Amino acid sequence: MSRLLHEMNPSVKFLVVIVSMLTMAFFFNPWTPLLFWLGLLIVQLLLSRVNWKLWALMMLPFGLGAIGYLWTTLVFGADTGGDVIGSFLGIEVTDEQWARAWSLTFRVLSFSSLSLLFALTTDPVTFIMSLMQQLRVPPKLAYGTMVSYQFLPVLKDELVQIRQAQRLRGVDEGKHWWQRVLGMRRLLIPMLAGAVRKAERAAFAMEARGFTGEPRSEFYRPVKLGARDWALGGLFALLLTGSCVAGVMLG
Amino acid sequence: MMKSWKMKEIVLMSLFGVVFGIVYLIFVHLGNIWAGLIGPLAYEWMFGIWFIVSILCMAIIRKPGAAFLPEALAAVIEVLLGNGAGPRLILSGMIQGLGAEAAFAATGYRRFNLPVMMLAGAGSALFSFVYGYFVSGYSALDPKFVLLMLTLRVMSGMIIAGVGGKYLADGLLATGALRGYAISRTDKGEARV
Repeated sequence: MSRLLHEMNPSVKFLVVIVSMLTMAFFFNPWTPLLFWLGLLIVQLLLSRVNWKLWALMMLPFGLGAIGYLWTTLVFGADTGGDVIGSFLGIEVTDEQWARAWSLTFRVLSFSSLSLLFALTTDPVTFIMSLMQQLRVPPKLAYGTMVSYQFLPVLKDELVQIRQAQRLRGVDEGKHWWQRVLGMRRLLIPMLAGAVRKAERAAFAMEARGFTGEPRSEFYRPVKLGARDWALGGLFALLLTGSCVAGVMLG
Repeated sequence: MMKSWKMKEIVLMSLFGVVFGIVYLIFVHLGNIWAGLIGPLAYEWMFGIWFIVSILCMAIIRKPGAAFLPEALAAVIEVLLGNGAGPRLILSGMIQGLGAEAAFAATGYRRFNLPVMMLAGAGSALFSFVYGYFVSGYSALDPKFVLLMLTLRVMSGMIIAGVGGKYLADGLLATGALRGYAISRTDKGEARV
């Protein structure tokens, strides 16, 4: 077990994920996404240290989504011809539809897995730093985002405060879930008004300390880009092409 | 593009990205449970929720990019929070933002009334649908079903994002927190009470 994936340059990792997803979108056979998914699991198992319990928990909703895809594609699938191999909910299913349904299901699974691979091995601050240093995102935007990201815990406390204050004044939150969802607007406006004021204060503070947002070439904490990143990128490319070729041959 | 932006507008925009990133994440989880039961159709009627921040920010800041950037940022925040949907979300956020941006750009960034906002919601819906058609493989589905999905999504974009965004912007304006942003100025550039 190594931590190679954790140390990989976040921008390269990000591009790998995006390219993989766009490539997957062209394949409608069940084997390509299945093989790619299995390959990803092996790569993640070998090259990262991930809390697999957390992984399983985060994968669960996507697993449910995948099941939804499976049966909708079977029931509402496009008429693609092929031989009828059985029936489902009173609808005849052809082998073509069967293959497509599984393809979409595995696609959902491999996409979620790919995303979790990124999310669980990437440090948010390093990711933004890397976006600024390697992908030339304007510093104004990058630092602005980081400031906002630091506000997260504050916003959470504020939400609790607003709710408690409203309850104290006797606001009825409602019994049904839809009443609560509609009730979000009562929380959202004070939250946003607070956010506007915080944003203004933070921006003035940054300008007062001489932050101009000019593009720069030197950084306090450089995010490195090296041979290791290209090698890992190559590994993913190999996995991607491998599963595409194998999938077409099997399908 | 960032040159004409004031620092406070950028921080405001990204803070809204953060707030809506959280809201979006909550709805992604709600939607996923739902989607397991009734398939991709589950998302369509509530899709507008994911377009709101574009419309709200554009209503306040009124500069090119004010629809695209917060939507992309909200997606980045969702990813940073460790959403399982991950980087593909950033891509779909960018595409949704572009849809709304296109609608505002088509009016020359001059009008910010309800019809334009509803148009922006429809724009986001349309752009995201084309992207979804490609990435999620909707071409494998029955065209009639796809048409139903599209109609639901556009309606949702117009009503939830368009009307909802306008409602939020008006509500915020009434709090008085937005003095100093473009929304508080009238056409002649005077302060609006």
